[in-house]
Order: sequence, then C-alpha cells, then structure tokens
Amino acid sequence: MSGANNSTDPAADELQYVQYEAAKEETYLPAIRQLISKDLSEPYSIYVYRYFLYQWGDLCYMALDPTNSSLIGVVVSKLEPHRSGTFRGYIAMLAVQESHRGRGIATKLVCMAIDAMAARDADEIVLETEVTNTASLKLYERLGFLRSKKLHRYYLNGNTAFRLVLYLKEGTALKRPDAEMGPVGDYQGLGMPQTQESV
Amino acid sequence: MAEDQTGPATASELPPDTIAAVDGAGPSRHVPAEPPRPSVGLPLRQQLKHQPAAPQARVHDITEKFTKASSALNVGQLVKDEFFTLFESIGALEIMDPKMDSGFLQPGEALEDACDTVAPLLPEELIGILDQLLCYEMAWHTGYPLSQTLFTSVYIDRLLWPEPRTLEQAQFYRGPIPDERRPGLMLEVLRSYCLALVKCCDFVIAKITGRDYFEEEDFCTHTYSRVLFTQMPMDVFQRELDAAIERLQDGTEMEIDPTVRDAIIARLNFRKDFLSALDLECSLDFIDRYWPPVIANLDPINTTHQLGKAVPGAFSFKIQRRLASTVPPRPTVELDFSDAFSKLKQLCTDGEEAVRVMSLDPDPLEYQSFLWAFASRKPTPLPYSRSYLCTLLFQESSVSIPLSDLKSLVFPCSTILDPSNWALSPPRNPMMPKPHRLRLAHLIDEFVERAGQAYLDFWTALGQNRCRLRRMLNHVIIGWDQLQHDAGFVDDDLMRVVGEMGIQDQVIPFPLTTWTYHKKLWMIEKIVLLGFEQDIYLPDEYAGMYLFLSSVSRRRNALLQTVLDHFHDRRSALLHSDAHADAQEVQDGAQYITSLLHEASGIRDLSLALSGFYTTLLYLRLIPRPTRPFSTPQLRDELRMKPFLTLTPQEMFPFPDLQAQILPYGAYDAPDSRLWEDLRGEEYWRDIEGHIKGAKEAFAQVKKLGAKAARAGGVEGAWGKEVQGVLASCVALGVEVAGVRRAVGWGEGGEGEVRTKVKVEIPGEGGRYSGGWVVGRVGRL
Repeated sequence: MSGANNSTDPAADELQYVQYEAAKEETYLPAIRQLISKDLSEPYSIYVYRYFLYQWGDLCYMALDPTNSSLIGVVVSKLEPHRSGTFRGYIAMLAVQESHRGRGIATKLVCMAIDAMAARDADEIVLETEVTNTASLKLYERLGFLRSKKLHRYYLNGNTAFRLVLYLKEGTALKRPDAEMGPVGDYQGLGMPQTQESV
Repeated sequence: MAEDQTGPATASELPPDTIAAVDGAGPSRHVPAEPPRPSVGLPLRQQLKHQPAAPQARVHDITEKFTKASSALNVGQLVKDEFFTLFESIGALEIMDPKMDSGFLQPGEALEDACDTVAPLLPEELIGILDQLLCYEMAWHTGYPLSQTLFTSVYIDRLLWPEPRTLEQAQFYRGPIPDERRPGLMLEVLRSYCLALVKCCDFVIAKITGRDYFEEEDFCTHTYSRVLFTQMPMDVFQRELDAAIERLQDGTEMEIDPTVRDAIIARLNFRKDFLSALDLECSLDFIDRYWPPVIANLDPINTTHQLGKAVPGAFSFKIQRRLASTVPPRPTVELDFSDAFSKLKQLCTDGEEAVRVMSLDPDPLEYQSFLWAFASRKPTPLPYSRSYLCTLLFQESSVSIPLSDLKSLVFPCSTILDPSNWALSPPRNPMMPKPHRLRLAHLIDEFVERAGQAYLDFWTALGQNRCRLRRMLNHVIIGWDQLQHDAGFVDDDLMRVVGEMGIQDQVIPFPLTTWTYHKKLWMIEKIVLLGFEQDIYLPDEYAGMYLFLSSVSRRRNALLQTVLDHFHDRRSALLHSDAHADAQEVQDGAQYITSLLHEASGIRDLSLALSGFYTTLLYLRLIPRPTRPFSTPQLRDELRMKPFLTLTPQEMFPFPDLQAQILPYGAYDAPDSRLWEDLRGEEYWRDIEGHIKGAKEAFAQVKKLGAKAARAGGVEGAWGKEVQGVLASCVALGVEVAGVRRAVGWGEGGEGEVRTKVKVEIPGEGGRYSGGWVVGRVGRL
C-alpha cells in the first residue's frame, strides 16, 4: 500500500518527515498555524488545531527542512466512528510552503496519513476540496480518491466543494449506523472551510 | 499570551457557578448564543417570537481561580466532553486576536464608525445609497449573510436597533430631536425605501423557511436578533413609499434635477411593486400580474445608475460587532452593480416564469416537467425563486397527484380507477363481502396514501439546487424502493379482486409495482446523468458509468414495452366492444408511453455507444488513468454503486460482469492480440455506430412526438432545447468515433502510434451540447 511513497523526486526525499508530538506543541504549533492560515481568508482559532492535534496527533505528519528544522509541509487528520457506521478518516488540513510546491511533498505527507489510518483499521478516508483546486483534486485522485458529491456553496466564501472519498475496505458502503445515531447529513460534522488550499 | 491562558482550560474544570455568572449561558464556554443553523422546518419567525429575555449579568473576577486551574494542565492539553465536536472547535474564538475578537481595537481605533445618519443627503447621494443597498440585497439573495451585506448599512441599523415598537419609532434617530436636525426630504425618501427593503427581506425569509425543506447552505436566514418588521402588514410600507413619491412629485420642498428625481421615483416604484410581488398573501387569482410591473421598472434603474454618487460612509463593516453572532466579523461582500442588476433581473424573470405553473394542465407529469425545466434554467434560479415556485405548486395540489400519475402510466380507461368505485357504500351487514369495486377503491386509496410521502420527497428534491438534487435523489430512490416492495402486496390483493371480477385481461399485471419501478428507474438515470453533468466521475470511469446507465434504461425500456403492449390490447378490446370514445382515450394516452419508450431506448443506445467509445479510448490509452496505489477497482465500484447497493431488484452489475464488459480484451495496458484485429475490422465499429444510429432515431422520434406527448407541453421551449442537445450529442459522438477509427487505421503500430497522432479532450460542462452527455473531443496532434 505504500507504493506512492517511493517518490523519485529527490527534493521530497531530502526532507525529514516526522510525526507530530504533543509534547512539542510550542515548537511546532506556531509554525503549523502560520503555514495553514497563509491561504485562509479567516484564521482558525487555536482550538481547531488542538482539537485535531490533541486527539489525533499521531495522524499529523510534518515535513521539516533537515538543515534548520523549519516546517515545509504538514497534514492534519482525524479518525473516528462516523454516523454512517463507518470508521472514517478525515484529512482536515494540508499545506506546503509555496517555494517547495510541485515536488511531491504533499503527496508524501498524505500517503503517510493514509498509511497510518489504514494501519489503524479505517474503513474509508474523506475530505473536501474546492472544485477549482485542480492541484489538490489531482493529488488525491492519483492516490485513489473518487469524487462522491458536489457541495454547493460549501465554503464560507461561497465556493463549491467536491467531497472526495477513498474506500480502504470492502463492505464499507453497506455499513450501517448504530440505532441511536442520528441521520447522516451532507454538511454536518465536517465543514472545515478552505483547508486544502496550499498543495 | 492569550493562547497559553485560554487554551487548556474549559469550563468543566472550574466551579460551574463561577462561569455561569460570567456569561449567563451555563457551564460551558463554547455554547453558542444561538444555534448557527436553525433546524429545518422551524421557521425563524417562530423562533424570534419565543426568544427569552437575556438574564441579568453579574460580574465576578475569576482570573485567579482560572489561572490556578489552568496551571494544572499541560500546554496543548484539551479538556472536553463528548459533545465538543469539530463544529464547536471551529466556532471557538480567541480573545485578543485582532481577526477573531470582535471587541479588539487597534490603538486609537473607535468601536464604531462615526456616521451622522441625519445629516442631509444630496439626491445623487441618495441614488448611490439605494443602488448600493440593491447590491447588498442581491448578494444576500445569492447566499451571503445579512451581517456581511445589508446589515452593514448604518441607516438600516438605525431603523432596526434598538428594536422599534412601532413603525413611527423606526427612524434614523431615536428620541427627541431638535427641529433643525429633523431629516429632510432625501432622508425621508431613504427611510421609506429602507423600511420596504427590510420588509422585503422579511417576506423572503418567511417564504424560504416556510417550505418543509430548505437549505441554509445556499441561503442564510439568520437575522442576528433583529426583527424585520415581521408583525407589520405590508400596506403600511406601501403607504410610506406612496407618501415619499408624492412629496418628490410635488416638487415644492426641494429643487431637484427632473432626471434625478425620476430616477429616484423609479427606484421607489420598483420597491413598491417588488414588495407586492414578494407578499406572502398575494392573491392567487391575479398571480400573473405581480411580476410584469416589477420587470418594467428595472430598465429605468439600470440606465440611471450612473447618476448616483457613492456614499462609502453609509456602510460600515464594524456593525457586525454588535450583531448577535457566534462568528467573528467577516469581510463585507461586494457585488458589482451590473452583477447585482442581472441577479435582480434573473430573480424577477424566474418569478414570472414560476407563475406559469398555475396555468398548466392539472397533471402531475406536466408539473414534474416544469420543475425539471425550472431547475435546469441557466443561470440556476436563486433559492427564493425555487421556494416561490414550490409554494405555488404545493398549494395548488388539489388533484390527487399519485392517482393521476398512475392513470397515465398503467391504468388507461381502467375499471380500477373508475370514479364510481368510490361512490359505493359498504354493505350494512359487516359480515357480507364488500362489493368488488369498492375493494378496488380501498386498495388504490391505501396505495396512494402510502405513495404520497415518496412523491412529495421526489418533488422536494426537484426543487433543490442542482448539487443537492443529485444527492437527494440518492435518498429518494431508497423510499421508492420500499414503496415498490409494498406495491407488490397491494398488487397481489388487486389482482385477486380483478380475478374474482373476471377482468384480468383488462389490467396490466402488477400495475402498481410497474408504476413505482418505472419512476425509480427514471430517477436512477437522472442520478447518473447529473453525476456526469457535475463532473463527479473521472474520465476513466465513464465507460463503466455509461454502461450502468444503459443497463438501467434497458430495464425501463422493457418495462415500457410491456406497458405499451397493454395500451394496444386495451384499445383493441375497447374497439371490439364498440367503446370508441374510450378507445380514442387509450390511444391518446399511448402517445405518452411511446414518447417515454423512445426516450428510454435513446438513453440506452447513446450510453452504450459512449461506453464503447470510452472503452476504446482506454485501450488506446488516450484517457488518463491515475495509478491509485491505495485503491482497487472493486473498492471504487463499491463506492460508486453505494446508492444502488440495496435496491431490489439489483440494478448494478456484479463486479466480475462489469469487469468483463469494460475490459473485453483484458488489462488496458496489456490487451490481448484480438484487440487490434477487431479495431481494424468492421464489426467493432459497426456496433458502436449502430448504437449511435439507434439513439439518434429514438430521440428524433421523441422530438417528433413533441412536448405535449412527453407531458412537457408547459415548457415546450426548454424541453425542445434539451432534446435537441441530446440529438446534437449523438451527432458529435458519431464524428468523434469516426475520428478514432481513422486514427487507428493510419499506421501499423499499436496504441503507442495512435497516441502520437491524436489526443482526447474532455469538454467541461459549458462545452457540451447536453450536460449529462460527455462526448470527448478527438483532435490531431
């Protein structure tokens, strides 16, 4: 499953890829926030980052410059039971420094997140991205994601999104929620505005 | 600093009473003041009426306790209960962050922009403000919240806050005012316009939230605790506008250039007519008279826009800070006047079009065609227009919708739907068997009642934005699948009664199942076609998805063939018994079936041809195929077929069958040798070309039978365009298939050589003759 990790681009391989550690929040979080919010019209509060990093820090991967440990790229994800009955991974944020784009760094980060989620028995992985973000669509679709839905005016800026889905296990489509869980909506639970911007 | 202090702590760590006393909202810091999305089906107007008064705030200093409590936690540690979701985390704000904290002021910055709302205005400035208000109104109509649009107006803010008890109190000032400061004519005109504009917003929100189902995603109903004159009747706003127009026309109060004065009056007239058209209680008898005057007023506004002079101070981004909201202030949404004007024009013409639904034949199939055509209008109708149409349609449904639909498809001139069945009384003695016809009536009633909800869901879906229409149909077909299951039981009972009556040969076998199944298949076809239209499928999925579409339409076609045979049998039988009028009625009804039959076979053939075309392109490697290291064809097929997996009968191909059909020569990158033999032969292409020809003929038949036969007589123009678009797609596909065939014949080499000579481009939605029919363009390199 890790075939896509064998990137031939030396630039992607020269970097240091590390898993996030909660103990090093003070080292990493300011840089992560800065990198992610660069392309956002409205910033996330620190709680959004902590919501992910505190609970699923092990699904967050960073690409660091080996010479000075500066942050080049980051992927932030979560994995939990979803109302539809599946164990669902969600890629919430993905960003790479503009000067380092186009070298497969984002792909490598996403692959690491997918591998980690697959190892933890995820049924599926989902995310949203703007319909006009060709680079992001291409990245995920190369890896195996399909578009499952178009979401009209999904983002606060009025832009429309595609929901992308990757099934990791057979039988995922037929999983059903526990009886006490509510109906499954298109816009509930998720709803990260503009997070797949900078890849 | 702010991060470190506020980060780790949540209210649950602190004595609950301390926090409760601070924000009055109970023991959680993140409880939003209002639910960000009002629940579906509860109109905001009701919510507003029951708003409890805010509890009296008491202030306690908790700094010390708070600091002590948070020092027990690590940096980054999140203490939360299970109800704290991503949604809450996104709603959380950081105190002292200039972008998030709406009370944060830069050094020397004032909380509010200073604006004197009673300072005199020039007539040109008035036009500037009115036109800017129109821009914000239209931005709101396209989905942005009032806070980022109309509520940035300092004038509207003054009118609405503090909340006036009477219209008289709604002024640009509050309390006593010296006579020399009293607003002059221009301000009075502005006030009358703003009052009516606010009332328009009230009507719009009420209309949209009045539907059982509406989408917050494309229209924002939030009013931030401002009451938009909900309780005041429309005529008081009309009177204010009339008075303003009169004072302007009188001309004694103020000298105004006549051109400018007329431009102002045109805007007031527009607002007056627009308000009437939006009125919730407008008379259905004269419904066609509301929009034409609004539309007539539009051009004078557009042509005089340049007379206006912008007044930037009339709008302030900072007003958002005072609105009851859980989100930080967001940038004001700027829509150009020309864009706003075309949106307004669209709103009005869509309103005028929607009114036509009232003049249609009372036939659910005509309504269905109308809804479909309306949803297909370009640009896509605004949320208000869709709600407007649905409100008209649903209040008009006095005929039994499912019953009338059933009659058209499966019960031509049938004893089963004979109105006299419903006139029979049950026997006095309950031990006696009920008359057969009465039993028929009861069975039909039972089914029609059962079908009501499924039918309503179907129509509701047709009233949504196009993306949601596709997603909702995925759920609606599940309801119809269950209905089909239930229909089977009613059919059994029905056939038993019919058998006892000895009229089996007058009734199509399993009529209710047939009807339900037909509708379900029609929806599945639409789901797939909308998927193509919305670019849900990637090019290397086209072959499989068009194959699936052809299989669904093949079944619908077969079903319709049985129905048509039944119509013919009925007609012959009626002619035989000299019931000529009835025979004619059946013959007329058969037109509809014939039209459907041709449509289904056209879809079947065209999608089969496209499937063949794209399979060929895959073997020639002219279509990109992502490597997909994390996925398998089987997993992707499961994801694609998810909406259809539970349907009975099974519609999807079992995976091995699908593979066999879209990979007839083995793997795309290692095909067996027969491929090139076949590609250079006749038969391979004859198949594809045959399907194209079949499709062309079928759609030509649909066209020839006409809109009335297709039960789209009310939308003949739109319907004709749609059929023409599909026909053009057939022709285009013929050309492209010929192009591929030529390229294959050019050299002796394999696909590698073909790829050096031609390329395939997939046109975007704008480059297609018909959104759901994607014909790749083969071009020479």
